[in-house]
Amino acid sequence: MKDHSVRYAADEGLAGCHTCGLLSPVDEKYCPRCHSHLLIRKPHSLARTVALLIASVIFYVPAMTLPVMTVQGIGGTEASTLMSGVITFWEMGSYPVSIIIFTASILIPILKIAALAWLCFAANGNCGGSQRVLSTAYHITEIVGRWSMVDIFVVAILACLVQLGTLMTITPGPAAISFAAVVILTMLAAMSFDPRLLWDRLRHHSPTQA
Amino acid sequence: MSENTVTPKVKRRRRISSVWMVPVIALILAGWLLWKNRIDQGPLITVSFETAEGIVAEKTEVRCKSVKVGIVEKVLLSDDLNGVVAEIRMDPGYEALLKKKTRFWVVRPRVSSGAISGLGTLITGAYIELDPAEEGKTSENFTGLEEPPVKGNNVPGLRLTLIAEEAGPISVGSVIYYRGFVVGQVERSTLDIEARRVKFQVFIEEEYAALVRKETRFWNATTFNVSAGATGFNLQTPSLQSLVSGGASFSTPQDRFDSPVAENGDVFTLYTDEKAAIDASFTPDKRVLLLFDQSVRGLERGSSVEYRGIPFGRVVDISLKYLEKGDPRVPVLVEVDTNAFKKASSVDQDTEVDLQKAVANGLRARLAYSSLITSSLYVDLDFYDDVPPESLTQLNGYDVIPTRSSGFAMIETKLTSILDKIDALPLDQTLASFDKAAGEAATTLAESRTTITKLNNAIDQINKLVGSEDTQNLPRELTQTLAELKDSVESLGPGGAVQGDLRRTLDELRSALRAFENLSNTIDEKPNSLLFGRESSGDPIPKGPR
Repeated sequence: MKDHSVRYAADEGLAGCHTCGLLSPVDEKYCPRCHSHLLIRKPHSLARTVALLIASVIFYVPAMTLPVMTVQGIGGTEASTLMSGVITFWEMGSYPVSIIIFTASILIPILKIAALAWLCFAANGNCGGSQRVLSTAYHITEIVGRWSMVDIFVVAILACLVQLGTLMTITPGPAAISFAAVVILTMLAAMSFDPRLLWDRLRHHSPTQA
Repeated sequence: MSENTVTPKVKRRRRISSVWMVPVIALILAGWLLWKNRIDQGPLITVSFETAEGIVAEKTEVRCKSVKVGIVEKVLLSDDLNGVVAEIRMDPGYEALLKKKTRFWVVRPRVSSGAISGLGTLITGAYIELDPAEEGKTSENFTGLEEPPVKGNNVPGLRLTLIAEEAGPISVGSVIYYRGFVVGQVERSTLDIEARRVKFQVFIEEEYAALVRKETRFWNATTFNVSAGATGFNLQTPSLQSLVSGGASFSTPQDRFDSPVAENGDVFTLYTDEKAAIDASFTPDKRVLLLFDQSVRGLERGSSVEYRGIPFGRVVDISLKYLEKGDPRVPVLVEVDTNAFKKASSVDQDTEVDLQKAVANGLRARLAYSSLITSSLYVDLDFYDDVPPESLTQLNGYDVIPTRSSGFAMIETKLTSILDKIDALPLDQTLASFDKAAGEAATTLAESRTTITKLNNAIDQINKLVGSEDTQNLPRELTQTLAELKDSVESLGPGGAVQGDLRRTLDELRSALRAFENLSNTIDEKPNSLLFGRESSGDPIPKGPR
């Protein structure tokens, strides 16, 4: 690989500032420009990521099983979970809507968690994977993260707007909180993951660079 | 220097990163959410129904007095495929409602002859109503009612059982009347297979519960009653509502109103009509045989036995089997309520009715018409002074009260005696003289007949005269003459021509007379004027002396 000939700042005792990006010797402890803490790598990055991932997996369970919103209407009260919503739309024939909800609310969180878990494993050196694929996976995870809140927004807006008294009232359910927690925790996990660990792995494992 | 210096052992502090608190907190929070959700769900119960019509899983609510207390989670077919089982998730906090006697039924729109209910569910969809019971063991499996009960378990009131031979028009929801006023409803009707009778569970509202006594009689109020009484025919029709949806009435006999108030679960007989109910108010305690020497046509089973018009018994049987062969009398078995008889005949309440003594005092039975139109009979018991003394006898174990020929039988005898007297009259002689008189009358009649013929002839001639043309024309001519007469009279009238002529002639005559007067005056003044004429002027010019 071409990259293997690249020199690493860490090997030279240099570290890029996390805040302003200035490259300075790591011995200085603090960035001479912005005075933020100077570290070669984010401390405990993997541990943090894994911890947050585990927390998000835990929240994923109530998010899927509990009702995300309760519709009180003339026909009675109906509490719907995310999956029941998907099924309802699918049975109604609104396949695109159903697919969107399924993808955004059920599939993406799972894929995100899986992707981050895979990245963590890879960074730890436990499994392989091409550098390019891993980088792409990381970027996608980070970009997608902020769009996963769509469901929560929908529920929040509906709960605000649909307050028609006896006709129809929508109230958010416990799954909404759980789902928000899942999204936030995966975002935090993605943030706390230091992608540089990915190439550290190559640096440590490459015999030429050892 | 470097040899004895000890290399410090740099130990990396193995402390658990605080970041691991996050999944722990997450675990606690998620666990709490799940646990709370689990706790928020009340107990799961099953209610079986005949049909799941209107019940939708996860939609249909369970309500108690319109308050939501649960929701149907699943609707399954029952194992024997004869019904459905609804799994209902109760809301938390309503466990106390689930007693063994708690009733469930589906509220859906119902239109029946009696009422329209549940219209609200047309829009909102059906729901399951829960009627809580206060006591009883907690239960989780229930059997739902197919028809909504009329009254809830908790509604205070009197619950009775009525037993009828036939359900007739009475069904669940039929109304119970007291003097035409609605005081209750039929809640349930069941068929008692063993007794082959219909049982009605009846609810009487609490405020009217005191009207129902132990001695109260219930009857079917849906029947038409035609009765012919002393005041003529009488048609009693039930109210329209009871005609459509059925109904029962009740009343307590006047003299039994002091009987104790009925209690929950009391059983009453439902009579077919009011009369049957009233008749049933006897409690016959004695059977007596009556032997009549006359036809008992018109007397039937159930005909009343009265003491001076007060009913106190009824005819049980009319059959010759109570007598030995050859006896011409007709035996009538009656049952009487001696208590009623005691009251009616003012015998001392405590003493046993002594029929022996009563018969010795002149107690006799006789047949009497209860209605002349239908010629139905009743048995009348009374004391008579003018009867030959008789005593109470026994026959086949029954007391036999002696009978007396009835009023109409006596009328019959009197009629016969009248006819006998008529028979004894010297009718032959009378008839002979009648015959003679009739002969004379016949000749007289013949004479008068000739006179009549003559008269007829005269009338014919008159008719001819009247019919002739001249006679016919007479009136016309008369009219004509009258018209002419009228004309001549009119001409004589003020505007008539004759009068005008007359007036003119008179005027001329008057002027002629005036001229003659002048002439005579002139001649008077001047007699010579006849010869010499008058002065030229009538106005004399005074003359001067000449």
